[in-house]
Amino acid sequence: MTEQTIIRFDQVTKQYDHDQAVLNNVSFEIERGKFYTLLGPSGCGKTTILRLIAGFTEPSQGKIYFNGQIINTVPANKRQVNTVFQDYALFPHLNVFENVAFGLRIKKMKQSQITEKVKEALRFVNLEGYDHRTISEMSGGQKQRVAIARAIVNEPEVILLDEPLSALDLKLRTEMQYELRDLQKRLGITFIFVTHDQEEALAMSDEIFVINKGSIQQSGSPIDIYDEPINRFVADFIGESNIIPGTMRQDFLVNFADKDFECVDKGFDANEAVEVVIRPEDLEITEPSLGKLQVRVDSQLFRGVHFEICCFDEAGNEWLVHSTKRAQVGETIGLNFSPEAIHVMRFGETEEEFDKRLEAYDG
Amino acid sequence: MKKYKALNIYLVLVFIILYAPIFYLIYYSFNSGGTMHGYGHFTLKWYKEVVQDTRLITIVLNTLVIALLSSAISTMLGVVGALAIRTVRRAPVKNTLLTLNNVLIVSPDVIIGASFLILYTIIGIKLGFTSVLLSHIAFSVPIVVLMVLPKLQEMSPTLIDAARDLGARRWDVLSKVILPFIKPGIFAGFFMALTYSLDDFAVTFFVTGNGFSTLSVEIYSLARQGISLTINALSALLFLFTVILVVGYYFIVQYYRKPRRQGAGE
Repeated sequence: MTEQTIIRFDQVTKQYDHDQAVLNNVSFEIERGKFYTLLGPSGCGKTTILRLIAGFTEPSQGKIYFNGQIINTVPANKRQVNTVFQDYALFPHLNVFENVAFGLRIKKMKQSQITEKVKEALRFVNLEGYDHRTISEMSGGQKQRVAIARAIVNEPEVILLDEPLSALDLKLRTEMQYELRDLQKRLGITFIFVTHDQEEALAMSDEIFVINKGSIQQSGSPIDIYDEPINRFVADFIGESNIIPGTMRQDFLVNFADKDFECVDKGFDANEAVEVVIRPEDLEITEPSLGKLQVRVDSQLFRGVHFEICCFDEAGNEWLVHSTKRAQVGETIGLNFSPEAIHVMRFGETEEEFDKRLEAYDG
Repeated sequence: MKKYKALNIYLVLVFIILYAPIFYLIYYSFNSGGTMHGYGHFTLKWYKEVVQDTRLITIVLNTLVIALLSSAISTMLGVVGALAIRTVRRAPVKNTLLTLNNVLIVSPDVIIGASFLILYTIIGIKLGFTSVLLSHIAFSVPIVVLMVLPKLQEMSPTLIDAARDLGARRWDVLSKVILPFIKPGIFAGFFMALTYSLDDFAVTFFVTGNGFSTLSVEIYSLARQGISLTINALSALLFLFTVILVVGYYFIVQYYRKPRRQGAGE
């Protein structure tokens, strides 16, 4: 654990009554001043992690450290953490100013100081002059900002955001992504953001934890996770992918779709069964004779930015291609891709083993 | 269209029939004749008599004190009760508690009154002010619970999480978040309890002793003694008071339903 670590989960398990564990033996570290995203499908345990950090619930097993102190049983009102809730949870009987001032009033701060801090927080989220509005008069995006102002005014070391953008429309959501990211940089404090939206996660985070069924599948920078997913779940959940069964002939040579291809992966057993991931945008449409693979176009969908083309090769594998070029349904085309576009996944590999293998092959 | 009109006439008729006896009674309270037939001329004599009757004034005051005290105490108890019912997690327990609460509201006053009478005699509480007050509190609490609970259920649990998150202790959460949120329900409960207490005859009739009486019981005994138009005057006043309460309640509800704008914009 370094100076930079602010929160540490040490083999934390959370179980309600006798049900299956919501979180299973989870360990991770959160560093100061970074933007983290907990990404996973609903019910994967990401919100539980947030509630454990906020102090709304206690772990069944394991330890949670905050600044090196165990905080398992510290109640929510004594933690240096503030939350932005999914439904904003603004107090309807208080106006905007009083909502933001709530935490400061609890601390019995002087009125002049409260006014100054609240005004500053509202200025920070571009809500100057909205002090006296009631909550029911605010739009969804404005409520969102009030909720953020209410959190940052307390100057917490960590801000937790529980799917705060899910109630907004697409355009506003994209706008708020930029704003949140910018806000985090300006404040320089740790943000922990929970979402099931992989685009949001990729766009905003310094680091992403991909979570499924109560355990962390993979953690890393958005680029790492996108380019080198550890297993089928991550590859499938983050972006779209073609996942094809294959065999590792030897280092840097993989066989799939009945052909051998050059790749950049190594550290596997000879002839080990593997899964191969190629992203749809890494596939380039060519003349059949020039392509590394020959496929038949099955269907095509116009997506605006690109065409989504669904093809089948002779071995029966389905290939999804994203291309700005239009293809003809029923025609045979060639697919070209670079060795770097191929990512090989070992079955049942844990994150530790994956990192070790990667390190060995870097060095 | 025609059907609609017929429906309206029917409705008006129903209300006329319902209200006619009350207005008939009020009409004769201004009669100088002294009986409910043969109208002499307009007079406020009976009202003067009501006001001058110190015994009657005492009873009016008794009734008001009982109503205000019982509704205030039952509002407090009812709010605590509703908060407690909300914290119950297990559905069967919660439903049982709610049903027990509702049974008290729908069960006949006579039975409640009689059972209180038995209870007080057994445990030796002297019939009078205390017994009436206790009984009124007892039948008002379920009403308050019933008025407050929907408001509590309307409240998102994340509001409490948010308050805790911002550093609020248990007491802060209650006083700064929960109570303000359910305030309309609390007011509604208080006013309902007030009107129920003012109105109540059956329960009070069982549990009043010698020397203590409320207005409804007193009117009943006056009416049994013989016809005097003071009863009409008294009833008219009581009716007026009830109307004022209902109208007041209506405006309070309206006030809370509308989102208040406090100098929006700047």
